[in-house]
Amino acid sequence: MNLLLPGMYVAADSALHRLDPRVKMGGALLLMALPFAAPRLWSTLALLLTVAALTRLSTAPLSALLRTLHTVLWVGFFMFFFYLFTTPGRTIVALGGVGVTWEGLVAGATQVYRLCLLVTIAALLTFTTSPGQLAHGLEALLGPLGRVGLPVREIALVLTIALRFVPTLFDEIDKISKAQRARGTDFCSGNPWHRVRAWVPMFVPIFVSAFRRAEELAVAMEARGFRTAHPRTRLHQLHLTHRDLLAAAGLAATSLTILALNHVSWPPWQPPT
Amino acid sequence: MLIHVEDLVHIYAPGTPLERMALRGVNVEIHPGERVGILGPTGSGKSTLVQHLAGLLEPTAGRVWLDDVVAHGRGAAARAHRLRVGLALQYPEDQIFAQTVFDEVAFGPRNLGLAEAKVLTRVHWAMGLVGLDKAEADCPGRDCSSRSQMEQRVPFTLSGGEMRRVALAGILAMRPEVLILDEPTASLDPRGRRELLARMRAWQGETGLTLILVSHDLDELARVVDRAVVIVEGRLVADGPVRRILSDGELLHHAGLDVPQPVALLQALQKAGWPVRTDRLLPEEAVAEVLRARGPGQIASKGGET
Repeated sequence: MNLLLPGMYVAADSALHRLDPRVKMGGALLLMALPFAAPRLWSTLALLLTVAALTRLSTAPLSALLRTLHTVLWVGFFMFFFYLFTTPGRTIVALGGVGVTWEGLVAGATQVYRLCLLVTIAALLTFTTSPGQLAHGLEALLGPLGRVGLPVREIALVLTIALRFVPTLFDEIDKISKAQRARGTDFCSGNPWHRVRAWVPMFVPIFVSAFRRAEELAVAMEARGFRTAHPRTRLHQLHLTHRDLLAAAGLAATSLTILALNHVSWPPWQPPT
Repeated sequence: MLIHVEDLVHIYAPGTPLERMALRGVNVEIHPGERVGILGPTGSGKSTLVQHLAGLLEPTAGRVWLDDVVAHGRGAAARAHRLRVGLALQYPEDQIFAQTVFDEVAFGPRNLGLAEAKVLTRVHWAMGLVGLDKAEADCPGRDCSSRSQMEQRVPFTLSGGEMRRVALAGILAMRPEVLILDEPTASLDPRGRRELLARMRAWQGETGLTLILVSHDLDELARVVDRAVVIVEGRLVADGPVRRILSDGELLHHAGLDVPQPVALLQALQKAGWPVRTDRLLPEEAVAEVLRARGPGQIASKGGET
């Protein structure tokens, strides 16, 4: 209730918020593929510009974006140092047996840049698309796979329910941690074995309540006539407007331009692929 | 004084679109052995305030003192604060995790670092306070150094009311100096409610602890506390004897509450010209007041008139 998760939907009325979720999800996938498909200098700059423009359009607060990026801080560190020490090439400094290479530095930075870009694009999607719309969009995009037997509606339903319960679960964690701290649990001191054991009084109540909630939800749904076998209609249908089509065309054109820029081979120095 | 709250401000999720100011500068002092009720409408900041009193939250601004020590959310001082102040959150049975009732109630005492023999007496004592020691009463000759039948049960197989009492026993077993109960009788049946109220009074009398009770139930407050604090929209709007606060219709209306039934009755009688006082909160007190106002000897002759 009083918690803002990294990447959580921020209700607002921006151009990106109003966009059809299918266009947004398709666009996000397209943009996420670009740093890999078009890694050269001018493409990279154009892509950064595009993402910056989209960030501006989303009206997402920069602090929220930074908080989301913060969640991959350690992964980023790990990737950077992994590439730094394991890429062969011209040695800058040698620390004992391992050498830091110029190539490693560049490769590490590239990987971190890609990671940040992917997280930013994903965050822009989740900032501007409510969980319900996300699930609806996914259902629509996976629609064709329904013909080959994939239970698309059920997948979308599971996703919706899972997303719906994320804040509830965090409220529960907050409450139980307070209750156990009030009873003298100390999560932050003692030897590692003590610390691990201190989590048992946290997780048991949370699992118990999660199972209880799941059962209550199942009963509530069945009581209102829910059946998985029957196709359901939607209260809010997705309709592509002119604006959505325009946005889709704009995204496609931008992507094509970025791909084309990848063929420019000047200047001679280029980021590694 | 025991607890001193000074200009306490609490903002949830500051700097985000979900920012919400729960407390807007609250000042309150709580003295040892007091029984204080906290009331106010839903979302007024009652629960936030009691979590601060229990040393579980970090103030956005202001301070919470416990015996001249400022406790903040982290560190040894805060832990010491939390061990002296027991807090039962709403629906405390949600915190149950152990395999047996005994281990559940023993969790707090063990965290205090007590020896196992001491833990055993604490658990028995707490189980007695919440009325879950009936097995012992049934067979008085049994060995007190072992676990009762109830204490060996799996807490998740108990009824809702029993789980509530086990959870409360788990807090009482720590023998806190201050006991805070956040709507302890919510969703209990009337009988469970009555029993718990009687026990609350008994605990307080027996241990002399400081009791802080958050409740919407005015009858409950009238029976347990001496002093009432009213919070509306994160501000403390009234603080005084429970008799005065709970018979102040205007104040209670402002706090989204109605006066207790006996007070409403006495107010209606007063309006009709009866010479009655309206600060009688309990039904039995109201009856006495009405009888007093009618004067002696008239009951038999005019009993059916009103």
